[in-house]
Amino acid sequence: MALLQAILDGLMLGGVYAVISIGLTLVFGVVSIVNFAQAQFLMVGMYVAYFAWRHLSLDPLLGSLLAFAVVFALGYLIQQQLIRRVLKAPEVAQIFLTVGILIVLENLALIGFGSEFKSVQVWYQNESLEFFDLIVSMPYAIAFCASVVAGLVIWWVLAKTWWGRTVRATAQDPMAAKLIGIDPDQVYRLAFGLGVGLTAFGGAIILPYLTVSPSVGEQFGVLMFTVVVLGGLGNVLGAVVGGVCVGIIQSVSGLYLPLQLQNLVLFVVFILTLALRPEGLLRHKS
Amino acid sequence: MNRTVTLIVLALAVVCGLPWLVSENGYLLRVMTLLMLFAAMAQSWNIVGGLANQISLGHAAFFGLGAYTSTILLIRVGLSPWLGVVAGMLVAAAAGALLSLPTMRLKGHYFALATLAFGEVMRSIGNTWSSVTGGPAGISVPLVPDGGLVLMQFSSTRPYFYIMLVALLVITGIYWKISHSRLGYELRAVKANVDSAEVIGIHTTRTKMLAATISAGLMGACGVLYAQFNFFFDPDSVFSLVSVSVRIALICIIGGIGTVAGPIIGACFLLPLEELFNATLSSAGAGLSQLAFGLILILIILIEPRGLQTLYQRLVARRTA
Repeated sequence: MALLQAILDGLMLGGVYAVISIGLTLVFGVVSIVNFAQAQFLMVGMYVAYFAWRHLSLDPLLGSLLAFAVVFALGYLIQQQLIRRVLKAPEVAQIFLTVGILIVLENLALIGFGSEFKSVQVWYQNESLEFFDLIVSMPYAIAFCASVVAGLVIWWVLAKTWWGRTVRATAQDPMAAKLIGIDPDQVYRLAFGLGVGLTAFGGAIILPYLTVSPSVGEQFGVLMFTVVVLGGLGNVLGAVVGGVCVGIIQSVSGLYLPLQLQNLVLFVVFILTLALRPEGLLRHKS
Repeated sequence: MNRTVTLIVLALAVVCGLPWLVSENGYLLRVMTLLMLFAAMAQSWNIVGGLANQISLGHAAFFGLGAYTSTILLIRVGLSPWLGVVAGMLVAAAAGALLSLPTMRLKGHYFALATLAFGEVMRSIGNTWSSVTGGPAGISVPLVPDGGLVLMQFSSTRPYFYIMLVALLVITGIYWKISHSRLGYELRAVKANVDSAEVIGIHTTRTKMLAATISAGLMGACGVLYAQFNFFFDPDSVFSLVSVSVRIALICIIGGIGTVAGPIIGACFLLPLEELFNATLSSAGAGLSQLAFGLILILIILIEPRGLQTLYQRLVARRTA
């Protein structure tokens, strides 16, 4: 029973991991950039939702839409002003540009909002749902549902809309996309904005059960990369599978290991994936 | 060639004289000592980052392993830090070899990701395994009144300065030696094109592993020296992504990745600049100097990711053209 409960908990976590990681994998798949600062956009999203709750009394669920919008705009600008300049530069430049953005975002938050941990209070915080003998805490269930909805919306946008088709065309071949009248730079800006916005949305919906601080991104960085590497960098559906796997691995390993060593388990999964299926991971790049 | 040798000897003589121009326990000498150490660390990184073009974001792992190995051995069995340097180097090199088994076939972003994750995991282990590491509260090198030379404890900063200087010279020598040896040429071949390197008979994975192991070992030795110099450290400082791993990479980028002088030029540029920011901005609140660090990183990447040496050549070329 404990195992079943852990799997259920893992599923709830995994749904959220999937959504925040879809953002990361989307940025890689379309813009061909590994964004090391992705988890810091999650932190920005959490702060937007926190301040929306505090000053506008907005529930984080609604705040998450605001978080998406704000971070989308931020991402659009960052792509336009910074990332665009290194798209053809050596990998070292791409890596360290996003690492630089990571450092800047984290310290701007530290200067602007202080280092205290901040949390919200909502009515459903201590509620829970029970089926048979299984218990699901309400904020986790709500975050999971919001993730499913967001995942479906993103799937619909990418698969069914005209814009989604231009994105996929650009990801496959920017040159050919240009020939049929698509502006790749515009697609990159929107895709980067959408990617970081989605991660920020994920940050906002987990606010009811987590606290936000400038360094909260550090908890999620390695985790998100594990998810996308498991699913294959650039593969949106893979991120969903990876997210659920990581959620379940994390919560089941929590049964047997101290909480702090869960990172170690994730790392082992991460390294094993890289070591055993490197060709599977690199396949998406070409 | 002769002119270069003369210049190097002259520069060395000046550097050796520097500690006697400033107060022996002052702030300036401390900065100069750290400058030597960080140049040495950056030079260790340069072996993997420069010669093999494998961008590591996890060298803090080896640095921290060295620091913890020697300090724990000193506390538990009273091992002299001079032997601790060897122990720290061995442990870090072993970790480097182990990590390179699964990661050395990875390229670019994937290698950077894997090493970043390794550094973060070491940090989390350091914070969790309190019975050995002392946990988040950190660990102190025990002060022995008559420790002196045997325990690498000095009341003046001057001896530390010379120790770090020797470390920098030795590691720079090793870098130079490697880059002019068979290993160096093999690494360059691997960097230019892995497949062609394989075709002409280079065991590419073994070559990269060897470089990674040497680089990690030297980084571990630097960690031991840092522990002895600073007397206190915690997991978040020695295993830090930003203030160790990214910083030494940034030093190499500023000076020019894969050049023997790069780490030295980079350290001479970045550390004084950081201190300047610290001195002028620290009163304005936490985070500002780190923010400045991040902005410098972004600026360098946007202006000239190949560093100051290339930037200088570009400017000279423009003037003569």
